[in-house]
Amino acid sequence: MKKVVLTINGIQRQFHVDSDRVLLDLLREDLRQTGTKQSCDRKGQCGACTVIVNGKTVRSCITKAEKLDGANVITIEGLGTPQNPHLIQEAFVLAGAVQCGFCIPGMIMAAKALLDRNINPAREEIKKALQRNFCRCTGYVKIIDAVVLAGRFLRGEVTPDQVRPTSGEGHIGISLPRPTSMVKACGVAEFTADIFLQGALELAAVRSPHNHALIKSIDTSLAEKMPGVVGVITAKDIKGTNRLKMIVDDQPLLCDRKVFVMGNPVAAVVADTKKQALAAAKMVRVEYELLAEMKKPEEAMAPGAPQIHEGRANVCLCLPQVKGDAEKALASSHAVVEADFSTQLIHQSPLEPEAAIAYLESGGDDAKLVVIGRGINIHQSKMVLQDALGWDNIRYEEAFAGGQFGIKLDITAEGLAAAAALHFKRPVRYICSLEESMWISTKRHPVTMKVRLGADRLGKLTAYCIDFIMENGAFTSVGYAILLRCLQMLSGGYNIPNVKAEGKLVYTNNAWGGAARGAGPPQTNFALESAMTMLAMKLGMDPLEFRLLNSLKIGETTSTGQVVEEWPFPGCLEAIRPHYERAKKECSTFPQGRIRRGVGVAGGAFGIGPAGPGDKANIAVELNPDGGLTVYGGVADPGEGNDSMLTQIAAHAMGIPMEKVRLVIRDTDRTPYSGSASGSRVTYMCGNALLSAIDLLKRAMSEAKATSYDQLVAAGKPTRYQGTKVQMTTPLDPKTGQGVPYESRVFGVQLAEVEIDTETGEVKILKMTAVVDVGKVIHPQNVEGQIEGGLDMGAGMALREQYVHGVTKDYIQTRFPTMGTSFETEIIILETPRKKGPLGAVGVGEFVLLPTNAAIADAICDATGVRIRHLPARPERVLAALAGGRA
Amino acid sequence: MEEGLATGQDQVYASGHRERSIAGRKILFDASGFLLNADDWSEELAEILARENGMGPLDDSRWKVVHFLRDYYRRCGRPPSNHELKEGTGFSLMILESLFPGGVRGTARLLAGLPNPRTCL
Repeated sequence: MKKVVLTINGIQRQFHVDSDRVLLDLLREDLRQTGTKQSCDRKGQCGACTVIVNGKTVRSCITKAEKLDGANVITIEGLGTPQNPHLIQEAFVLAGAVQCGFCIPGMIMAAKALLDRNINPAREEIKKALQRNFCRCTGYVKIIDAVVLAGRFLRGEVTPDQVRPTSGEGHIGISLPRPTSMVKACGVAEFTADIFLQGALELAAVRSPHNHALIKSIDTSLAEKMPGVVGVITAKDIKGTNRLKMIVDDQPLLCDRKVFVMGNPVAAVVADTKKQALAAAKMVRVEYELLAEMKKPEEAMAPGAPQIHEGRANVCLCLPQVKGDAEKALASSHAVVEADFSTQLIHQSPLEPEAAIAYLESGGDDAKLVVIGRGINIHQSKMVLQDALGWDNIRYEEAFAGGQFGIKLDITAEGLAAAAALHFKRPVRYICSLEESMWISTKRHPVTMKVRLGADRLGKLTAYCIDFIMENGAFTSVGYAILLRCLQMLSGGYNIPNVKAEGKLVYTNNAWGGAARGAGPPQTNFALESAMTMLAMKLGMDPLEFRLLNSLKIGETTSTGQVVEEWPFPGCLEAIRPHYERAKKECSTFPQGRIRRGVGVAGGAFGIGPAGPGDKANIAVELNPDGGLTVYGGVADPGEGNDSMLTQIAAHAMGIPMEKVRLVIRDTDRTPYSGSASGSRVTYMCGNALLSAIDLLKRAMSEAKATSYDQLVAAGKPTRYQGTKVQMTTPLDPKTGQGVPYESRVFGVQLAEVEIDTETGEVKILKMTAVVDVGKVIHPQNVEGQIEGGLDMGAGMALREQYVHGVTKDYIQTRFPTMGTSFETEIIILETPRKKGPLGAVGVGEFVLLPTNAAIADAICDATGVRIRHLPARPERVLAALAGGRA
Repeated sequence: MEEGLATGQDQVYASGHRERSIAGRKILFDASGFLLNADDWSEELAEILARENGMGPLDDSRWKVVHFLRDYYRRCGRPPSNHELKEGTGFSLMILESLFPGGVRGTARLLAGLPNPRTCL
């Protein structure tokens, strides 16, 4: 142990530290300054823990405390507060750089160190200075914008007040600062791991090292005797179903009889400290009987393959879609292309590792179990826990959530934390490592697809056939819904008169899929859009003109037979045309040597809402004595900007300043059901429910001739009203896949410009141009931010990212996008009002993933003549394809 | 299902939803048996669902719970907590759970036509 004296944010402090302690420990554990985040398992990869030491940025997770004697440390807490922010914090908020906010304190510290030495950095200098700070939400565009703006503030060229929009300019179509962005920029927004829980025990899970095995015995006796250990729980201690049921009950909270994939939990140890819990977890002895592993769908589908889940076939869902007679139409088509495609398993990589805390709020048989986590459907999370634990009285609270992209629909750390808190009647924290977070969270399903697409002599599409196999992995999560959504959006933006499809969902002993931004269609749309360009080339037509020719028109039908009443897709294609022609022209003049350039285009149409009918959102509003409005809804906001949407719509509809709108959205005791923050449904569903609630309030005020709270109360009228939005859709027929799955959709087209090094296989994205028709823009920065971040994520899917269970352990291995891989973007927003959208709007976040991978693959093909059909297009695959191998 | 309660053949959809012909009406349920459209609820339907769940005609106590659940949901947009249910009905938890074979969450909410929060994507 060594004594060190540091000055932290201007205050001298002394610590007595062991050699294994790092600066991050001193900040987060000793000082409880939790603005500095931890994400990458202390590998110094992600930059979330960036602070300034002696004027230079350091990653505090790898900076040994014992070497810091005399150091001057500045953390995010040392810059500013929400009431008195630093100019850099102001710049991040006003530039729209703050989405989930988890990376932002580290980004701001890196920006400060840069601006301290260079107050006017060029964009390339900013990218270089911040290249070791990771962000999953923004695609880095607005972060770079924020540093540029901060420089302008610091140089005195402009002030925040001159940049800051005000309510006086209206509330719709304006980027008013998001209600939560400043607390995130100042590091005082509490993510789950930041929440202090007096006397909390720490939990460590005992996880299976095997992918498929029977549990013969579990011996916890040695672990229970370890220092600091309070106890160990196994499946026998769970009083409820012990299943985390999203759709089917195939996932144990704690495995009882079997384990289905490496990392499955078999016991949970709680101790006074995390170190003690981890040490004791290693002493739990589990005897396994190994079973045959089925790591690929073809192995699980082979005749005689053992069932992974008793009583459930390995092919756990098989759904068809039939529209017209596709085989007959293909047989008589002038041109047909046929190809197979595949997409890979991907970890969504939100920066915040999985985390939960739980405690009993009161005593007795009816004590309330409070669970704080990062769920995006808080009422569903509560219900899943109620069933699994056999404990009814639960309140689920959403802490600030550090990104999600789908994986926070499922219960992860909350289950064990809640079970342990209930069993030991003590508060419990369960903060997972990044590696463990990867083991326990859902992934993007890998899909293999065989397609045939035909057209007549004039280039009109005749038929589309697709057979696809979606690897479910060990558990179903929402796999049924993902497969269904592929069918619901199968024909993309096009009029295809004949369709034949079959999708299979197959269990394996592998990481399991779940909700992942776009949730199915990014995979199947890759095949459709790739085939569209292949067919255009075969017909000798321009790929963009071919798409325009075949775009669905009002009155025509999608692959589900739904007659469409609005379809602004052709407008998106028209809007991309000048950019496409410019890019083609530039490309044609580029000398095609070792480095080649290409241009690709792809489109998509994305249905708003869930996979089945019955989507419903309730939002309540309450008039406050000061004339303000409180909005109640179980509306998670893991970074997309749902807080802005609710606040701005409420201010607009009520005609009150935004500051007078208060949101209550994170707590199951105080909110109505509003559904999940997924399927790009929140703006559409909750925005509509909010308008409906406000309409009821305004009607009541009108009837009472009241213009204030006092007058409404005096008239004996309630001050609280609840609005509901129900989506009027129908389920798909199980034999034909026909039905009306969506009321509304979001549309768009993307243009990729790439450069390929034919000797290394490296693909560099020069620019992505995205046209998106969002109906009505409520908050321009939020819309742009979703598109920029989505393009970055889509590019990762196209070119780099792949998760291998048990092998991929960190961000370097996932090939996390960085400032170095970021690229220029141009966003073109179209606003064709949707008849049923709130103020004409629809959501946008998930759609962006649909066209990106195909546009990039098209551009690679344009440059090299080689079509990549299997993602990701890593250099080795591109090189192999150029050499005539598997593409 | 008790014979004679439902007529016609159920239609099961790809999403697991089930359309049933009950008392001359086509009514859609989710995969867990919860009513999809709140407007389809009636006391007659509640009685039919109760019989399907092995219960006899709903007595005053059970109706009290069902109506409280519906009223609470209409006002608050979510089911009541145990505490609120106890206060609202005057029944102890033990009695509440004993009134319905699947308990309050499993059966009473279903009979009251409350939606299932288990929505997917």
